[in-house]
Amino acid sequence: MTAHLSRRGLLRAAAASSITLAMPRIAFAADGFVNVYTGSDSNISDFWTNVILPGFHETHADAKVRVVDAGDGAGLRAIADRAMAALGTDNDPQVDLLEAFVPDETEGSIEAGLWVNFTEAGLAGLDMVNPAARQTDFDLPYRGSQVLLAYDATRVSAEEAPKTWDELTAWIHANPGQFIYNRPDKGGSGGNFVRRAIHEANGRDPRKFTLDNYSEAYAAETLPGAWDILKGLAPSLYEGGAYSSGNTQSIQLLSQGVVTMTPVWSDQVLQALSMGVLPETTGLVQLQDLALCGGFSRITVPTNARNLDVAMQLVTYVLSKEVQSKIITELGGFPGVSWDHVDPALRAKYADVIPATIPTFPAGDWDAAINDGWYRNVAPGIARS
Amino acid sequence: MTHTSSSGTVRKGGTAKRNGRGLTGLLLVSAPVALLGWLIIYPIFNAVARTLFTAGDEGLHFSLDTYQRFFTDGYALNNLWLTLWVTAVCAACLMAICLPLALYLRFAKSRVAAVVQGLALFPMFVPSVILAYALIRTIGPNGGVDLVLNAVGLPKINSPYLTPWGPVIGLVWDNIPLTTLMLVAGLGGVSDNAVEAARDAGARRFALLRYIILPQIGNAMLVVLSFTVLGIFSAFTLPYVLGPASPEMMGPFMQRTFSQLSDSRMAVTQAVITFAICACFGAFYVRSIAKNREARR
Repeated sequence: MTAHLSRRGLLRAAAASSITLAMPRIAFAADGFVNVYTGSDSNISDFWTNVILPGFHETHADAKVRVVDAGDGAGLRAIADRAMAALGTDNDPQVDLLEAFVPDETEGSIEAGLWVNFTEAGLAGLDMVNPAARQTDFDLPYRGSQVLLAYDATRVSAEEAPKTWDELTAWIHANPGQFIYNRPDKGGSGGNFVRRAIHEANGRDPRKFTLDNYSEAYAAETLPGAWDILKGLAPSLYEGGAYSSGNTQSIQLLSQGVVTMTPVWSDQVLQALSMGVLPETTGLVQLQDLALCGGFSRITVPTNARNLDVAMQLVTYVLSKEVQSKIITELGGFPGVSWDHVDPALRAKYADVIPATIPTFPAGDWDAAINDGWYRNVAPGIARS
Repeated sequence: MTHTSSSGTVRKGGTAKRNGRGLTGLLLVSAPVALLGWLIIYPIFNAVARTLFTAGDEGLHFSLDTYQRFFTDGYALNNLWLTLWVTAVCAACLMAICLPLALYLRFAKSRVAAVVQGLALFPMFVPSVILAYALIRTIGPNGGVDLVLNAVGLPKINSPYLTPWGPVIGLVWDNIPLTTLMLVAGLGGVSDNAVEAARDAGARRFALLRYIILPQIGNAMLVVLSFTVLGIFSAFTLPYVLGPASPEMMGPFMQRTFSQLSDSRMAVTQAVITFAICACFGAFYVRSIAKNREARR
């Protein structure tokens, strides 16, 4: 009989404990945490967790902030959709700040009033933001990075490193198997390399592509030229046309000495160099006829955020001289504020590499057209064994 | 204690008790069945309906356009063929590796067998993301294998990284434990007596396998095959990290269609097609289970 009872007791205990285990999930929303969602690589989420948040806690000891990795842009879109669905209801959107997100990605969200208008809200520090980086009042550029070419300087001297697109393609053909870029949808380094080819096929004029001028007909007119350029490169790429599956994998192939040159994000490559993932003999070069695209990562704050006040304080802190300087030193990125508003010593040190302009490529409908077009036209290229 | 542990007493207890027990059984099984209905059965019908009916100006109307697009799109068909090819090759490799392993584990009684069993189960505890990066480090270009070969003066291997063989190697490694465990379980049903008797009658090793063991584990092999096919067909991480950009396996292809192209109806169509193929193998499994039950009655 005792055995019977104890088994029942065990079942009860198990049921009780499984309910307690499930509790935190149920209570996830209303626990007072400010939820920051990021779609960036782990170096960025680490930067938020290890640099921004500890600094923020010094002045806002009570604030509880949680950084959640949404995986990628599509992950952030889903979170923004949830906020959009919760708009106008009492429901908690469970998100207070989105990192690396632009409002246009959620259709109709600006009109519906989903995003905080930073100008109208009178955000402290907004006047310091680099005017060249501003797009709308609903997004806040807080860090920038550009795509560079990283190469093994033991095999290519700085003088030999390509400085124009033509020199680059000539180098790739002269050194078959020594160049790789990643699939354009799996990371921005390969994505912006593909976009540079699109610029090349369209007279190197970034102004030809805007967020609003996408149409299937215009894409059919502008993109095939780039596919031809990239298909022409394929036989001379690593393994006769292999493409790595992300920014990190490209860096890994460079560090293992498998390839000699690959496009990389400036912030990621500087971090890889400082961590010793890449050797000190890694060279960096930017094309001079038209730079590889880069861009600014933008913060958006939904108006129905439960912790709107804390979120806005956090945004102000991100624009502070302290964080903006660390974006340069710790992250290897560019500040979102004008260079006048970072540590003067840093300004002097980086004077030579401060880019006058970073060409950008619009996202929106262009993204899907470029990525799928690349998969269908360039990736199959030639049969590989 | 007695009435729960011994079924014999219950049967003698008459219909009332029997009904009570049946009710308890139904109650116990109702939770998983309800979950199954809510989380699996309903989404299946929902998905199929979403691909077949589109909302037009004059309400819902029936349309097969996404299926037509899929089966006339050479790119999508290529992806489907690659997935079938990878699945078939993996299933064949798994049988070739795991059957001998399972036979050894079933009949060997030595200490080495315990070590081998431990090693065979090891991949179960390695998450596939970690496995993918570890494989890049070992059989990838200039990886561990290349370093060893280079040290003894041999040429480098032709690395499978970013070719269809990359995911094949990863998936086979990842599926060894489950396949081996199920085959060993199947071999558990082969009695030592039958094997001994056949040996006494002068059966050689091959004859033993062919006429005594294989006929008895046919069912287990069918189950193993359907399980591995189901797992491999819908694999995502290993094909994503180790495989080529194109053709893609259905897992990464579906994910890309859904999140990159935001074409959820096409993504669901791909899922339904994948599901239909997997359901055939699922049917094998269900049939063999049912046959097993009948045989036991």
